[in-house]
Amino acid sequence: MVSDRPGIMRGITSAITDMGANIDDISQTVVEGYFSVILTATFDSECEPKAIEAAIESNFGVGELSIIVQACSEMAKPAPVVDGEVYMMIVVGDDKPGILKKTTGFLADRSINIEDWASCFDGGSVSYIGKITVPRGVDVRQLQIDLKRELIDLGMNASIRHENIFRATNEVGPIKSLLR
Amino acid sequence: MIGKSEVMTTLRMMQEENLDVRTVTMGINLNDCRRDDIAETARAIKEKIAQRCGRLVAVCDDLNVEYGLQIVNKRLAVSPVSILLEGRQKEDALEIAKALDSAAESVGIDLIGGFSALVHKGMTPAERMLIESLPEVLSSTQRVCASVNVGTTKAGMNVDAINLVSKAILDIAEATSDNSGFGAAKIVVFANIPEDSPFMAGAYLGAGEPECVINVGVSGPGVVARAVERLKLENPDCTLDDIAEEVKHTAFRVTRAGELIGREVAKRLSVVFGVVDLSLAPTPRVGDSVGEIYQAMGIKRLGAPGTTAAVALLNDAVKKGGAFASSSVGGLSGAFIPVMEDHALSAAVENGDLTIEKLEAMTAVCSVGLDMILMPGDIRPELISGIIMDEAAIGIINRKTTAVRIIPVPGGKVGDKVDFGGLFGSGTIVQVNCPGGAEEFVRRGGRIPAPLQSLGN
Repeated sequence: MVSDRPGIMRGITSAITDMGANIDDISQTVVEGYFSVILTATFDSECEPKAIEAAIESNFGVGELSIIVQACSEMAKPAPVVDGEVYMMIVVGDDKPGILKKTTGFLADRSINIEDWASCFDGGSVSYIGKITVPRGVDVRQLQIDLKRELIDLGMNASIRHENIFRATNEVGPIKSLLR
Repeated sequence: MIGKSEVMTTLRMMQEENLDVRTVTMGINLNDCRRDDIAETARAIKEKIAQRCGRLVAVCDDLNVEYGLQIVNKRLAVSPVSILLEGRQKEDALEIAKALDSAAESVGIDLIGGFSALVHKGMTPAERMLIESLPEVLSSTQRVCASVNVGTTKAGMNVDAINLVSKAILDIAEATSDNSGFGAAKIVVFANIPEDSPFMAGAYLGAGEPECVINVGVSGPGVVARAVERLKLENPDCTLDDIAEEVKHTAFRVTRAGELIGREVAKRLSVVFGVVDLSLAPTPRVGDSVGEIYQAMGIKRLGAPGTTAAVALLNDAVKKGGAFASSSVGGLSGAFIPVMEDHALSAAVENGDLTIEKLEAMTAVCSVGLDMILMPGDIRPELISGIIMDEAAIGIINRKTTAVRIIPVPGGKVGDKVDFGGLFGSGTIVQVNCPGGAEEFVRRGGRIPAPLQSLGN
């Protein structure tokens, strides 16, 4: 993580590439002016995480960035992906503490996996947009009722709608391609 | 993930701008229900509709929950009943109509179309019988809707059929006089009738259609009106081409939502998906009016010069957006101007800004025709024939669909108000500017030949 400015990606990727590695996957975002990125890379030869950290840090100012390098083999294996349908959850209302805790708790209690999450702030109000996978067999009608009930104390308006309605109204490809 | 602004745009359309699916209409071929005995035929009709359509409403309700998108109407359109009536008696028409009515009720459908006859080049005895049975059929049933096609660009215009159906319209109104002639709201007289329209009262399953098919009518005009208003807020000096572009983009989204729902319904019912009908169909609710779109464009008094151009702009932009959105566009696909069903149009007619003559001009550049117009109950059948002939001529010459749905109100006078309630709305009885003088021309009957297809100026 580093304060956003031009040239950050060059500093990271050039250090990795110069060590003979290939970058496999990458995801980057900026939150409130802070640039953060997560990436995976494959190195031809054995390489210590500390050496990789040092190579990247050398392209930045002292103490400018926070970095963690870890071998994938040392990390816990990802849990199996939830088998289900993809929905968009939208929670809208005045911003206040506790919205995320309650919302994400509601999802976790039902084994609903969050695939992606974003927020939009507009004055004092906030909109959370979550891409979630609802396991097969879950009664979506009841889920919607329960979600509304869960968030009503916080004054939040929440809805869950199948992802395809958003894709259909915003993408250009054939509708048939959205249906399995 | 889809962008945040795209998600919020779709959500706003659904929650605040009345984005919905106006109708999911199942078309069913009933030609194989014909039996020697009329009671057996009626039973076969009921069984087939129950078997094919029994889950339509439940599937639509499920999709409503999953997508958060309301499906306003679930309807049925059957193959022309005139075919089932060949070689039968007039009382058999009522038996079949009652079977359709009962079958529709049993599967939770409010309107069923297809009590129809295609007589643009001539009438069989059964087609004549069907038209003559309409007063009894439409006054004895709740859900049955009828249509008669009296002209095509290829065949010309059958004036004999027009004269017959004009008399029937007056008789239907009289037979339903206890409800201000409401029965006449359930029959549409067409030129160039489409075989796949999902909208009532004119929907039927055409001869070129599959055994069973799902056709969809897209959302109403509220979404488009709000889009134009939002554009004006962002850019008060927006030009007409800016408005056309906004309408086109909105139509794209609306059409895609309609096709998604239609294909899902078809898949879950294991039937063929047919078409998305792009028509903007209003309801009497404020915020769901085609007239409001013209007002948003800047036509403050509907009927003023410029109104026809506004209709043309809207109709064309909707088609362009819809045609890019889907390769399965069909039906009527334009902007409807049903006076009683649109509070803004109805108000303009009531205050005299919008006349039948101006409405007729507007129908030359949109779908469909003179729709849901109340007239005095003492009008002559020749006047109805003349109105139908004028409207059919516009359709036949311009190679487009046109239609007439006028309601003579028994005992009603110009200026009287009538309220049918629900989706059929309310309105004021009006009269044409020159209600007499063409009787000799109309009574000659016969056919107006098919028009030349070249020398197009």
